[in-house]
Amino acid sequence: MNTFLRKNIVMLVAVLVLSAFLIAAAQGMDKQDFVITLLRGLAVGSITFLVASGFSLIFGLLDVLNLAHGTLFMIGAYMGWTVVVRPDTFVDLLTPLALIVSGFALGDVYPLLASRIRLGLSMKRMLPWGLILVSILLFGFILPRYPIAIWDVGNYGQSPVIFAFMADSGTRLPVMPAAFTEISMPVALIGLLLASILGAFGISLFDGTPRTVHLSWRNFVSIAIALIVAVAGAAFNDSLTTFLYGLSSNWLFFTAVLVATLSGVALGGLMEATLIRPLYSRPIYQLMLTIGMSAIGIEMVRAIWGRPEFVMPKPAFFDGAGEACPATNFADWWANHCSTILLLDGRVRVYNEIFIPLVGLVVLISIWVLLQRTRLGMIIRAGVQDSQMVEALGINVRRVFTMVFALGVGLAALGGVLATPSMGLSNVMGESLLLNALIALAIGGLTSYPGAALGSVIVGMIQQFIIKYGQIGIAIPFTDIVFKPTPPLVPASTVMLMVIILLILPNGLLGKKE
Amino acid sequence: MENILDVQNIHTFIGQYHILQGVNVRVPKGSITALLGRNGAGKTTTLKTILGLTPPREGKVIYNGQEVNGLRSFDIASMGIGFVPEHRAIFRDLSVEENLKIAERKKGDYLRKRDFIFNLFPDLKRLITLSGTSLSGGQQQMLAIARALVPDNQLLLIDEPSEGLAPVIIEHMMSAIRELSKDSTVVLVEQNFLVASQLAEYYVIIEEGRSVQDGKMKDLAADKAAIHRFLGAA
Repeated sequence: MNTFLRKNIVMLVAVLVLSAFLIAAAQGMDKQDFVITLLRGLAVGSITFLVASGFSLIFGLLDVLNLAHGTLFMIGAYMGWTVVVRPDTFVDLLTPLALIVSGFALGDVYPLLASRIRLGLSMKRMLPWGLILVSILLFGFILPRYPIAIWDVGNYGQSPVIFAFMADSGTRLPVMPAAFTEISMPVALIGLLLASILGAFGISLFDGTPRTVHLSWRNFVSIAIALIVAVAGAAFNDSLTTFLYGLSSNWLFFTAVLVATLSGVALGGLMEATLIRPLYSRPIYQLMLTIGMSAIGIEMVRAIWGRPEFVMPKPAFFDGAGEACPATNFADWWANHCSTILLLDGRVRVYNEIFIPLVGLVVLISIWVLLQRTRLGMIIRAGVQDSQMVEALGINVRRVFTMVFALGVGLAALGGVLATPSMGLSNVMGESLLLNALIALAIGGLTSYPGAALGSVIVGMIQQFIIKYGQIGIAIPFTDIVFKPTPPLVPASTVMLMVIILLILPNGLLGKKE
Repeated sequence: MENILDVQNIHTFIGQYHILQGVNVRVPKGSITALLGRNGAGKTTTLKTILGLTPPREGKVIYNGQEVNGLRSFDIASMGIGFVPEHRAIFRDLSVEENLKIAERKKGDYLRKRDFIFNLFPDLKRLITLSGTSLSGGQQQMLAIARALVPDNQLLLIDEPSEGLAPVIIEHMMSAIRELSKDSTVVLVEQNFLVASQLAEYYVIIEEGRSVQDGKMKDLAADKAAIHRFLGAA
């Protein structure tokens, strides 16, 4: 008992303080306000957790502070929106994106190729740049001519804002399908594949040390998948588009979540393999790179989707209205799919305040099981401490690095797409969330997985309670003063809490001493 | 006798520092070979270079007749080389059992080798559920060696097994190393000449990044002048 107390003292004190804080918060407001605020805090905490956990996994294992993580969260959101609102654009994008990825999926083949090339020293230095230049020129030639049916940011009537608004109100604007006119399809497809292979080969040459590689069929699985997706996307373009347009809003949203998460995974894998990997020996450059990536990502989103904010239609499953709504119990809710439900007299939004925390919980448990109960998790936990020793055991740590980076970005993208029906889409949604996530991690412990969850929930709760008290005010005891926290206190409160916690516990609540 | 490992004139840089400047090591199959030398001579770097953790810029590492320099560490290790690093490098967040399981190269390695390992280190059996943090130095060293025994390794690279251990534990460790050398070849880095001389049949002395002398351990043990000159021990 004594050792249990000593080992978990921080956790116990944290739970006590948190409970005291919650009880105190409950005293000052109605029961229903308290329940709603609590659930809202959980919802914000869950979204924060999806970003924070990926960030913390990546930092723990790879020692990379991925400051582009917020931007990747945002890209996930915009990807998901595209699937829901403009399925035809998504289908048109499938083939070129799969082809761009495919060259990079060859990974281990390039060092083998490099070891076969005999060149003089100066030629050897020029080769990667030459290859990358050719690749960029090819991309530059083909991509603008590749037919993609898309909105028009410059034309308000055809802008994402209008498409989003119409889709939200249940109608769809008619769209013109794109066709190969400026370039023939085989040329475009083969050209993109070639450009991708040349670019990937060029980048792999920066890796330096030539090495011997044993090839097997496994090295070709990823490129095979990418090529199948590309060819299928091109061959069944029309039927796939019709199929997606015909889906119910629930299935479309589910597809969007899947697509956004998978694109996050693919983007993360690509980013680690091409940009992060050559810089492991130069962490400062890595940090600068991720900041740059973040800025580039935001500008790309602005160029493609425009600056104005817009909405994401909620799936019908959570969007019911009518006489039977708000539902008074879950059976009622299930029958009518009301957007709100009455819980302890409080009107709770089902999607935001029940569904999102549930997804957060499912992800929390799944990743925990992955970390604690699988071989991959064992390797990750060991690698966090000493990746060189893991490699010395005969384990390909780099592959695990790529997988973890991909997983982390996938989680952020999942957070992004899940957040959109309640938050909407904007160019700055990623940055503010990353800040929240960083504060949550500092509070919970930078590389601690349970810490990420605890920190995120604390950050979400504090923000929501301060917002609520901003409306109803806090009666200061023994005085007549009612203190109403102003909006700037919302972010400030979490930063203040972080400072206090870091002063007492420099490693955060659950972080381990280095 | 056939050599399982033949290190030929390797040069290794760490950053800008030229650490190994021509090291040659021949390790006969089934033997225990000790790398000797003063602190900072390059013994640990030699082990790491063999395993590809600090790849050589020049020279060859030939293992089982195959050139392995240029391969990545995990590929080299997968060919049957176990590594027991200095300071043990036990995974603290993993339980003792997980520390062993993670070393599996084929599914079931751990179950197959479990009895052999617990015979060698009975202590580990009762510690199996504890986390790596709660072990004493000696127990950690046993676990580090045990971890290298889980897959079928033909060659074990063991760095400073006696470092920081009490004499009784060192005795135990030595008998364990003798026992496991029946099945595999061992390359040992050891500061403690007494330990090295009792365990190893062959030796290589490394001085300032170069291998300067090698041969049979019993000849070196008789050559007090060489011991004094190269190792500073009497």
